[in-house]
Amino acid sequence: MYLLEHDAKTLLAHHGIAVPRGVLAESDAIDTLALPPAPWVVKAQIAAGGRGKAGLIRTARSEAELKSHVRDLLGAEYKSKSVRACRIEAQVTGATEAYLSFMLEPVAAGVRVMMAAQGGIDIEASAPDAIQSAVVAPELPALVACGTELAGKFPPPIAAALKDAAQKLAAIFIEAELSLLEINPLFVQPDGTWVAGDAKIVTDDDALSRQPHLRALLASRAAAYAETWRKLEHGCDYVVVDPAGEIGLMTTGAGLSMMLIDELRAAGLKPYNFLDVRTGGLRGDETRLVHVLEWIAQGPRVRVLLVNIFAGITDLGEFARLLVKAFARVPQLKVPVVARLIGNNLDAARAFLAARDIPVVTDLGAALEIVRRHFA
Amino acid sequence: MTLPRIDRATRVMVQGVTGRAGRMHTQLMRAYGTNIVGGVSPKRDVSDVDGVPVFISCRDAVAATRATASVLFVGAAQLLGAIEDAVQAGATLLVTPTEGMPIHDALRARRLVREAGVMWIGASTPGMAVAGTAKLGFLPEASLLPGPLGLMSKSGTLSYECGFRLAQRGVGTSVWIGVGGDPVKGTRFAELVPFFAADTATEALLVIGEIGGNEEEELAAALAACGFAKPVFALIAGRSSPEGVTMGHAGALVHGSHGAYADKRAALEQAGATVCGSLDEATSCIAAWHAARPRL
Repeated sequence: MYLLEHDAKTLLAHHGIAVPRGVLAESDAIDTLALPPAPWVVKAQIAAGGRGKAGLIRTARSEAELKSHVRDLLGAEYKSKSVRACRIEAQVTGATEAYLSFMLEPVAAGVRVMMAAQGGIDIEASAPDAIQSAVVAPELPALVACGTELAGKFPPPIAAALKDAAQKLAAIFIEAELSLLEINPLFVQPDGTWVAGDAKIVTDDDALSRQPHLRALLASRAAAYAETWRKLEHGCDYVVVDPAGEIGLMTTGAGLSMMLIDELRAAGLKPYNFLDVRTGGLRGDETRLVHVLEWIAQGPRVRVLLVNIFAGITDLGEFARLLVKAFARVPQLKVPVVARLIGNNLDAARAFLAARDIPVVTDLGAALEIVRRHFA
Repeated sequence: MTLPRIDRATRVMVQGVTGRAGRMHTQLMRAYGTNIVGGVSPKRDVSDVDGVPVFISCRDAVAATRATASVLFVGAAQLLGAIEDAVQAGATLLVTPTEGMPIHDALRARRLVREAGVMWIGASTPGMAVAGTAKLGFLPEASLLPGPLGLMSKSGTLSYECGFRLAQRGVGTSVWIGVGGDPVKGTRFAELVPFFAADTATEALLVIGEIGGNEEEELAAALAACGFAKPVFALIAGRSSPEGVTMGHAGALVHGSHGAYADKRAALEQAGATVCGSLDEATSCIAAWHAARPRL
């Protein structure tokens, strides 16, 4: 899970890392917030890179200016997501901008430690000799030793700051089982102290069961991480890919669901959601299907539900039986249903769905034809 | 380490054989022809499951059955320990369908198998198969027709769909390997290039990738570096997926330009692969190659 900057900084602060004082603004009622002293930086909270270039990070000197920026940014659309909150924080001045990151190296099965004296820019675009980097075993002593060695290659006071930052951040990277921890810029003050100017953290959803602090953070901000929260609570992957989407999807398998979305879009159709419902994990209970249908029913423009299941092992008859039960429990979903099913026990599935007048086809192209007719 | 070619003589044990999934897939694998010689379960009161002898550790199972491969149906939190058990017992091929292995555990497991020279397929894989001969995992039979196409995939379902459509057109597979959708895994696309290059039963390769990570780019570099002489077809899922959101598979996460579709497509095309834009296009391209290929 890609943490929003505000949550990443909250996590770092919890571990004793210095971050600029800041608050989260979820509306323009900023007078109710305990603002840090001016001047401020207003940063749109969105899980995507390139915020600065997109005008989603702004500075403000007066409360009027601040309020106007917050108003502008809230609701702004960027990379098909809308900004739901801004972090307002004290602007850091008089500091040098350095760079430090820890990231997974899946090939070497290690962790890459990367440092640069000049951060704050697109680090990949900087000269290779400006970056110090090495890959070590995913263990704290190795990370600390590496951080110390790399930091020693920079002039003071940057060396001292990077060494200290590497030690503290390595401990967080290992303890919280992170996939990515990047501080860019890492503000270095003339006295060698440092502050995390930005924080990009990717956590491991699969480690949350043994990371109680991260799980609590997620629970307290469940609305901001709806996908991860749903997966924890309901055992399936569901992502609204287009809030204005017109086709709800009841699908299993991440790869096939992604491909279906790609193909629908290429055909000029507008899918609403991604779903890996994991039919193999239903175990005779339709509850998960009920939740999914309820979520899809919330799509204001959804006009058709497309079911696409390739059942390698799963019994389609059993799936269809549960789906019919689930439809009965979600009467608010009134859209027509098109089912494309392939696999074990297809005839039983046809019989269950025929009782609800749901057409079943085995060819995906044929299913899309039926879907298209609903928009004619 | 290279992938051992599995056949009906390959001696396979199943870790977690007494669990719901372990028992069911042990039956299905045996029915397909896989030589399941034993199972492993910490339950001391179970001596066999459907006629498969059960042992309390991999060491005991290997000593009694000379198993060289293991399929692991164990929970995500237990997977690292189960992999250690199998490696210490001397297994040389591990297949782990388990979903949700913590990434730092996967890093440790990958270091372990590499040091021991063990081939690990997974985690989060539907498994591997030699169509018509044997399968380790749960690839569906409807998609497994013997033929000349090597197949490797990050996604289970998308590969089933492709394999099924190809089988309907009479195109079968030689060796099928699901590498899984995790960001840190035992075997990456590029690491299978030497195997497919050398495998005489494989005349062309289908790669089913997806957004996130850089395995497709790494594969492109490996294909170019070894002068891979067989045709390569690729299908990459997720080109219209939003940035910053995990799309089901833990590895399917684009952030910034990292892991984006365009880079993967460009890299593979640069390496001479035919990147197909849809399932239909992939099926047609491969069927056309299959019909026109020189017969030995």
